[in-house]
Amino acid sequence: MTGSPAAGRVAKLTDIWKSYGAVPVLKGVSITLQAGEVHALLGGNGAGKSSLMKIMSGVIPANSGAIEINGRALTHASPAHAQDLGLYLVPQEAHILPNQSVLENICLGLAASPRALRPRVEQLVTELSVSLDLDAQAAALEIAERQIVEILRGLVRDARVLILDEPTSALTPFETNALFQRVRKLQAQGVGIFFISHKLREIREICGTISVLRDGVIVLSGPLDSYSDAEIIDAMSRVQITAASGKDRTGRKVSQIGRPRLSVRGLSGEGFRNISLDVRAGEILGLAGVVGAGRTEFAETLFGLRPQSAGSVVFDGEELKKRSPRVCIDRGLVYLPEDRQQHGLFLEAPLFWNVSSYLVHRLPFFLRPGAERKTFDDFRASMGIKCTGPGQEAHGLSGGNQQKVLLAKCLSARPKVLILDEPTRGVDVAARNDIYDIIRKLAAEGVAIVLISSDFDEIEQLADRVEVMAFGQSGGELTDDISVDAIARLAFGASEARHA
Amino acid sequence: MLDLFARNRVATLIAVLFVAYAAIGAVAPGYLSGATASVVISNSLVLMLISLGTMIVILTRNIDVSSGSVLGLSAAVLGLSLNAGVSLPLAIAFCLATGALAGAFNGLMVAYLGIPSIVATLGTLGLYRGIMLVLTGGRWIEDLPQNLKALAGNHGLGFSALTVVVLALVALAWFFLRKTRFGRYFYAVGDNRAAAHHLGVPVRRVQFAAFVATGLCAALAGLVFAAQIGFIPNQAGNGIELKAIAVNVLGGVSLLGGTGSVAGVFAAVIFITSIDSALVFLKIPAYWNDFIAGAILLSVLLLDGRIRQIIDRRIRARRYAVHERGPAQPADTTKARIVEAGR
Ligand SMILES: Nc1ncnc2c1ncn2[C@@H]1O[C@H](COP(=O)(O)OP(=O)(O)OP(=O)(O)O)[C@@H](O)[C@H]1O
Ligand SMILES: [Mg+2]
Repeated sequence: MTGSPAAGRVAKLTDIWKSYGAVPVLKGVSITLQAGEVHALLGGNGAGKSSLMKIMSGVIPANSGAIEINGRALTHASPAHAQDLGLYLVPQEAHILPNQSVLENICLGLAASPRALRPRVEQLVTELSVSLDLDAQAAALEIAERQIVEILRGLVRDARVLILDEPTSALTPFETNALFQRVRKLQAQGVGIFFISHKLREIREICGTISVLRDGVIVLSGPLDSYSDAEIIDAMSRVQITAASGKDRTGRKVSQIGRPRLSVRGLSGEGFRNISLDVRAGEILGLAGVVGAGRTEFAETLFGLRPQSAGSVVFDGEELKKRSPRVCIDRGLVYLPEDRQQHGLFLEAPLFWNVSSYLVHRLPFFLRPGAERKTFDDFRASMGIKCTGPGQEAHGLSGGNQQKVLLAKCLSARPKVLILDEPTRGVDVAARNDIYDIIRKLAAEGVAIVLISSDFDEIEQLADRVEVMAFGQSGGELTDDISVDAIARLAFGASEARHA
Repeated sequence: MLDLFARNRVATLIAVLFVAYAAIGAVAPGYLSGATASVVISNSLVLMLISLGTMIVILTRNIDVSSGSVLGLSAAVLGLSLNAGVSLPLAIAFCLATGALAGAFNGLMVAYLGIPSIVATLGTLGLYRGIMLVLTGGRWIEDLPQNLKALAGNHGLGFSALTVVVLALVALAWFFLRKTRFGRYFYAVGDNRAAAHHLGVPVRRVQFAAFVATGLCAALAGLVFAAQIGFIPNQAGNGIELKAIAVNVLGGVSLLGGTGSVAGVFAAVIFITSIDSALVFLKIPAYWNDFIAGAILLSVLLLDGRIRQIIDRRIRARRYAVHERGPAQPADTTKARIVEAGR
């Protein structure tokens, strides 16, 4: 093969053009990847990162351009062909076969049988220090576990070129750390890796080279060390953005508001036990914990999606006994689910339907699409949603823009208490700041907010108070001195204490 | 015990089947005999083949409602060529080729031209029946040669040559779907098409192959039909596709694709055919058949649904029981995590 280590190049894309319909997404992108290189690919939501990677792995065809993997040309767009050449893409949204076992999910498409591969997969699971039941049906997996299955697929394939498209967006620092150790090992073996993430801190930790994509062209490329965070963020967006705007509680006076909006007492249900908490109007309560701590189950139970076995939920002084999403929405208790593709969006429906979907039972008998479109356009302007129009179908949006649409859907219900489950998963730096501003503004307007996040930076920046959950139980509270370290200490210390 | 029922519909089905056999055996001694078994098996062959073919297509999350017409068309090709003096092996080859072609056309439309399978096969349901009628001029094909009918005749042990062929085919299908990599692809394509594509499964080829296999099964069913009855009415196979879909549902094949087993379909076919034969044996007028078969189908599905709910609840309870007891992670990994956390 010509892809000898001496040449050192494992992948090369030349002048790639791509448009969806009439909308150009990639305008002549060229990029190369060396053996043993971890190459960060950055860019705002909708910049075309995932599209570029999908083209490279044969999932979608390019309009023009050449792709070379391990010294051989990718002649036609087919994932099987790309895998034969030694490339595997861990996609942004995990592809799961719900009726197959986890092991079969990981091994599908490989020549060896799942039984023969089992020891290897088990070893990888241990190395990633996750707990994953290989024989369970994949339908039951949560979003972080799905992401881990995708990562395992990539690792078990012995690819020479591995693409990780936002692999850590649902993971907490632990799983991320373990993944990075594995990535370093691969790097030492000469595997070339494209790494996509919106978290600069992660990129600094693992990547050596960086390319920034903006509006379908590469605007910055080179060794990571030679660029500052500010330069990178500048390159990503033409609009000036201040890097992480930091803590900002101006205009909110939490302590003055006495009565809690939402008060939960001794709530137990699937995956958690005896949780009590209060949220006041204008307050942002962070809910932290590791993957599997029961935070999502707790939120879903609050919203009436899962049965509760004990406890009470008092909303604005009135106990909500029989909760269903409909009852909750009508009172003003709104939930933003963590899995936008499965539970959040109607992917085949136009965007303006999505935005009005929480209120579909309140729409007039004869629909007024004009008004719905107007509502969507307002959100589109205020949140900077990148799309072709209110009639576009949701599946055509990039991940981060889908997340904004989801948030718009929650806001259109005019919440009094808003439960946000991973509100910025897959959202770029600029949009993240936008979303933070929106959350702060909501709180200033008197909305009580419960913020569930695996990103401790996010909690540090936004939360007025932090509750920690570990193994389905209360693990402590932080009222002042909210810092990443303090949260981490509490979240993991609590699991440790409970264990002892 | 419940777990067993949860894991496969087959177990529920066989249990119900045994209860039913025992009850009929008690009411009408003499029902449970080798002769009955032989009758049931040979009566089930046509439905077996159509159901098997339908299952393969359903696995890939498509549907084929044209099998009955394919049965009729290929049987007509068989009968016409035989009556035109073509030798039996060559006529059978024509018959199977007709089925394969008909299936390939369905597959072409669905897999490569992207027409939804229900629409495409509804179209060919009429089209293939129409071709058959044009070929036969709307007349029945009678006076089929003796050597064709002999294929359906009993050999010694109470089984015909066709029975052996069909059972061998069922075994082959089971082996292929369960034990080979390509067989697994059929499940994968039905379970999540995008995922299968992403993992390098040749999605279109698999869908196409499923339709061709269905066409072949339907053609073989046409052969069995002609051999057993001895003539070919121009409504041959009419409506059997719906019965085959019901059998698939009864046998635990999900219409959403991705799950189901040959064993389930086999058991369901035997079940349905046994009901028919038992009704005859109990001297219940034939016009009750559909009513009773429908009622039994619904009862089994309801029973199965209940069992599944109970099991689901248990699995959830077991899954979340961990939290009642305490942490699941071993101490050392937790420790390691704390160290990492303090970075
Ligand atoms: N299937 C599709 N049909 C139409 N437009 C699409 C489709 N997929 C992506 N797009 C558009 O192409 C652009 C680039 O999308 P892409 O998913 O590559 O962005 P990205 O850089 O990965 O963003 P993110 O960080 O949000 O994941 C977006 O504007 C998106 O709306
Ligand atoms: Mg993307």
